[in-house]
Amino acid sequence: MLNTTSIPGARFVDPVVLSRIGNLELVARHVVDGFINGMHRSPYFGASVDFAEHRGYVAGDDIRRVDWRLYARTDRFYIKEYEADTNANFSVLLDVSKSMGFGSRGITKLEYAKMLSGCLTYLVHKQRDRVGMIAFDSDIVEHVPPSAKHMDIVLHTLDRLKPGGPGSLRAPLHKMAEHFGRRGLLVLISDLYEDPDAVLEAVGPLRFRGNDIIVFHLLDPAELDFTFDTPSAFEDLETGEQIPVVPDALAEQYRSLVRAHIDALQERFSGSRIDYFLVNTSSPLDHALFSYLSSRDRFARVR
Amino acid sequence: MSFLTPLFLLSLAGLAVPVIIHLIQRERKNVVQFPSLMFLQRIPYQSVQRRRIRNWPLLLLRLAALALIVAAFARPFLRRQALAAAAAGGAREVIVLIDKSYSMGYGDRWARATAAARDAIARVGPADRASVVFFSSGAEVALRSTPDRSRLNAAVVTGKPGAGATRYGPALKLAGSIASESPLPQRDVILISDFQRAGWQGADGVRLPDGVALTPVPIGEADTANVSVTPVTLQRSTFSEQDRVTVTGGITNHGSKAVANLEMTLEVDGRAVQTGRVSAEPNSSASVTFAAFTPAGHNTRGTVRIANDALPLDNAFNFTVSPKDPLRIFIAERPGAPRDGSLYLSRALALGETPPFDIATKSIDTITADDLQRTSVVILNDAPVAQLTAERLGAFVARGGGLLIALGSRGTWPAVTGAADILPALPGQPVDRTSGQSARLGALEYGNPIFEPFRAPRSGDFSGARFYTYRAVTPAKDAQIIARFDDGAAALIERRVGNGRVLLWTSTLDLQGNDLPLKSVFLPFVHRMVTTLASYADRPAWLTVGDVLEAPRAAPVPGATRQVTPRVVLTPSGERVALDGEGPDVLELTEQGFYEVRAQARDAAAPMTVASNIDLGESDLTTMDPQEVVAGAMGRAGGAAAAGTNVTATDQEQERNQRIWWYLLFAGIVILGLETLVGNRVSRTQGSGLRGA
Repeated sequence: MLNTTSIPGARFVDPVVLSRIGNLELVARHVVDGFINGMHRSPYFGASVDFAEHRGYVAGDDIRRVDWRLYARTDRFYIKEYEADTNANFSVLLDVSKSMGFGSRGITKLEYAKMLSGCLTYLVHKQRDRVGMIAFDSDIVEHVPPSAKHMDIVLHTLDRLKPGGPGSLRAPLHKMAEHFGRRGLLVLISDLYEDPDAVLEAVGPLRFRGNDIIVFHLLDPAELDFTFDTPSAFEDLETGEQIPVVPDALAEQYRSLVRAHIDALQERFSGSRIDYFLVNTSSPLDHALFSYLSSRDRFARVR
Repeated sequence: MSFLTPLFLLSLAGLAVPVIIHLIQRERKNVVQFPSLMFLQRIPYQSVQRRRIRNWPLLLLRLAALALIVAAFARPFLRRQALAAAAAGGAREVIVLIDKSYSMGYGDRWARATAAARDAIARVGPADRASVVFFSSGAEVALRSTPDRSRLNAAVVTGKPGAGATRYGPALKLAGSIASESPLPQRDVILISDFQRAGWQGADGVRLPDGVALTPVPIGEADTANVSVTPVTLQRSTFSEQDRVTVTGGITNHGSKAVANLEMTLEVDGRAVQTGRVSAEPNSSASVTFAAFTPAGHNTRGTVRIANDALPLDNAFNFTVSPKDPLRIFIAERPGAPRDGSLYLSRALALGETPPFDIATKSIDTITADDLQRTSVVILNDAPVAQLTAERLGAFVARGGGLLIALGSRGTWPAVTGAADILPALPGQPVDRTSGQSARLGALEYGNPIFEPFRAPRSGDFSGARFYTYRAVTPAKDAQIIARFDDGAAALIERRVGNGRVLLWTSTLDLQGNDLPLKSVFLPFVHRMVTTLASYADRPAWLTVGDVLEAPRAAPVPGATRQVTPRVVLTPSGERVALDGEGPDVLELTEQGFYEVRAQARDAAAPMTVASNIDLGESDLTTMDPQEVVAGAMGRAGGAAAAGTNVTATDQEQERNQRIWWYLLFAGIVILGLETLVGNRVSRTQGSGLRGA
């Protein structure tokens, strides 16, 4: 899974993973906007062959779009609207704060996130959508604007990324919201070590601008299960603060707190129509993609 | 119990290691890096649980093992057991030296000293013997070599700080002699003292015998404060024909703090007459001069006193003053002598101050027995002596009078025998040295009291005087020539007769036969001759504790009936000491105050009073390192006995006394093994518990 070739970024599109993902393409075509050209429903109404709806004429509308047949029947002006099939903007918002450098099973959260980003980018790029990425900790670290030609740059940039300083969601995400002029699909990958309300408040502006947001909440098994058994001094990776911890005494409370955190996030995100997925870095990468695409499909049918 | 290598006990600090491991290190040794403490910090911190020691038995086992091993390496040995065992192997001769100098009266030093002595006695085993010795400037055995601890304790109680100064030499010599006489194999000297620097003048030639261990027990304090009264200065003057004395008293502040406005009182005959105030900086002195007073009579007692401090004995200084009695001199001249025949002699004597001279000049043929009765010295200046006069002078000299005969050119002595035979030499013909080179004094007996002051260089030159004429003499058998001319002829001859002395000067005491009266040595020479003949001695105003009080007594007159007047010395503490005349009439001063010597006879003279003061060197409470005394007395530092003494017994005994370290080490190893078992069991239990969880 961690085979590395001389091609930069190639390890993020591991063939084994991609073979599993390849079987999902039929599903993905119906689930993810822009997964395959033509199947990607644009958030814009525009010129295309798929009729969407009629609406009343207002001054300023192009008279060429008036449905004359309907005028003939109703003696009123209606405009025909079509769903535009267009290339979507796809950006990965990758948290590279220092806490992402944690890993207890031989792979850190950041490495896992890079591979996940690589896979998603590759899939999206295959649909000829514009791909980009933004890496951030407490500020924006790397920025690759969405473009159909930026696949290589995105992979190179992902390959270079290393855990940075202390992380924060609010400032960088608000800055991004200012930046994105065009609505698109945003995938936020982070360990979300902030209060759920704060997380939602950080993500909010992106959502308000019409972006479709998918959140991957990456956690190491040790963070989820707290399997430590030796009393130790626990050091915060980002602040360096240490506290003595007797795991036997704290584990149960810790696990309940984490569960409560995850539940709160799930509740908040679903309330805001943001897709949220908890990803355990011990689970295979394609599991995460599969569960994501499946849930997208389910949501799409519901809509 | 003591330890051979007590420094190893510092390793007991290692006992903290298991505790630290349990309490702190156990939780802080592994630092786990964790993405965020966000959730952990929300969990209340359970400090009790963190610090709780889970395995008390394990911790106690570890601590016990460490303590035992450290104790084993410190090499403990049991002194008490050793002493008990000594009954079989080596009993001890313990000599407890207790300093009772007056500095031991400072604060509670004496109480601590006696406590230390009782402690040492308590360690005396049934087979041991102990001696109690008190010492100050001298040493006295209070109880010698007994195993009875109750008697030893009683002997300690009898002591109290005296007035003497500290001297370690006599005490250590006495201890050495007791130790060397002891047949016991172990000999320990325990020196309990405040270890004043002033009491140790080097090793004092003191060396304890080999095998004798000296253990110092210092009881002095580091920080002391003491003010002492220094010796007074007595300045005499005469006012309206009365002898007046001006007293200057002083203090020395030995402490580290200044004293201000200290009241100093002058007491005369026990009554405070004047008061002055004095201030002194630390380690400095100051003085007060009191107004002059007239001594009421002989042996007037004076005391300069300040308020008592922690060391009260040195807060008073005693002295005695007496009006000066003139020395009565009778100058006998030949009949028809010119008026200035004894001019130089009388002028020289008129200048006397200590003592003043009361001079009477008469013709020799008018001398009466009454004249001789009231005089101390008779000077025959170039006068022929008649038979009767010679006999009277013989009796006078036998009673203790002094006779100086300046032969001159006319001096003669009748050919007599018996009591009148007192001449040191028979006068012969005059020797004329006017032609040629005049005679000079060539050889002087500087050992004689007359010439003793001139012994040192530049203390008087007799060789400058020129002698033109003198008398050739034939010295008597028991006479001593104490000055000779350069040709070997006798110039001054001395002879002791009865209690008195006779001096024969073969030249003149004027310018007729020499120019000595013009020389500077003439005056002291005449004074020395007269005071020596009168056996005059200037009595000191005070003596020091430890000095010997010598009560002068007239020597028996040959042929006379021996009459001994018993005398009694009244000490300051009121004790009466009889001087019966059998032995030497001396008494060592042991107390501070006034000693009174009284003759027990109807016609006895007034009692003589002697002031006694402590040795002020003792007032300086500066202490020294006790090991200095140990090193000086034993020839090396450390209180242990010299190696090589009682080799067989000591080695066995030492081995027996120190065997305990074996047991400690063995016990430590056993406990370590037990700790391993318990530790493994505990870790297995915990391991299974974890897996189960």
